[in-house]
Amino acid sequence: MNPFSLINKNIIITGASSGLGRNCAIECSKQGATLFLIGRNMDALVQTLNDCLNQENHLLICCDLLNTEKLKEIFLPLNEKFQFHGLVNFAGISLTLPFRNTTETKLNELFQANIYSAVNVSKLAIKGRKENDSNTFSLIFIGSIMGEVGESGKFVYAMTKGALLSGVKSLAIELAPKHIRVNMISPGWVQTPMTENQYYANNKEALEMLNKKHPLGVGKPEDVSWACIYLLSDAARWVTGTNLMLDGGYTAR
Amino acid sequence: MNKVIEVLIEALEIENKEVKLTDNFKEYPEWDSLSRLSLIALMDEAFEIQIDDDTFKKIDSVEKLIAEVELRMTK
Repeated sequence: MNPFSLINKNIIITGASSGLGRNCAIECSKQGATLFLIGRNMDALVQTLNDCLNQENHLLICCDLLNTEKLKEIFLPLNEKFQFHGLVNFAGISLTLPFRNTTETKLNELFQANIYSAVNVSKLAIKGRKENDSNTFSLIFIGSIMGEVGESGKFVYAMTKGALLSGVKSLAIELAPKHIRVNMISPGWVQTPMTENQYYANNKEALEMLNKKHPLGVGKPEDVSWACIYLLSDAARWVTGTNLMLDGGYTAR
Repeated sequence: MNKVIEVLIEALEIENKEVKLTDNFKEYPEWDSLSRLSLIALMDEAFEIQIDDDTFKKIDSVEKLIAEVELRMTK
């Protein structure tokens, strides 16, 4: 048996309608996973599904992750019918905003999008698991190098990722008795349709500087997806409470 | 007041300054490396537009900034 296989694993992916989440769904489907893809836009989710292998095996869930009551309604029958083996929390937003323009509204918006949503789904995905559950579960949070190092304009965004990183370690200890592994992947700058609209992509000098900061160059979505596959798979059965810096060497300096 | 000017004032924190259409805002003493970041972030939020670097470099007055925003909003 290939330890990296995701055959017979039910995996939930949030933010699956675009960017990194979409690519992760496609790559996980190639490894045989059965997918539960969550996103806010059904048309975009369908596009993701169309690029997945074994399309008939997967389920699309159109939902706002901040709508706790709706999420509970969705997960109640799912938890009865399926045993989940993993969740990747891709849903979230990026922001470049200098400190002087930081407002309470912006703080709330980013903490809700990057933290509350992941907490909501994670709680529901592992609901009902007992101590020493024979099936292991892999819970993955997507951080950022900004959770470890700094950059101008990244104050609010970095706080959300840093908060998740701190939380991952305690959660790993708390959930280990239930055989739930909790890990984080912290990517550097990855080229996606979302990041193409960002400041760096529209500013040649900034983009050049960004490339220099990544000794192996900026990343591709599959670089993150393949790390997710590892952490979701049995090959990572002894891995919990870690933060995998996936940054082409950005933080090695 | 024009919404673009409001965003410019917020980005540069120049509430007490009189902003004229012919002003080259990049020559304001308050203009610095973070101002551009602020302006981009706030314009993205207010108008859902991004102005690429080459175009932005050519904008040397408030009225040209307004025109560029309006152009991109109609696209």
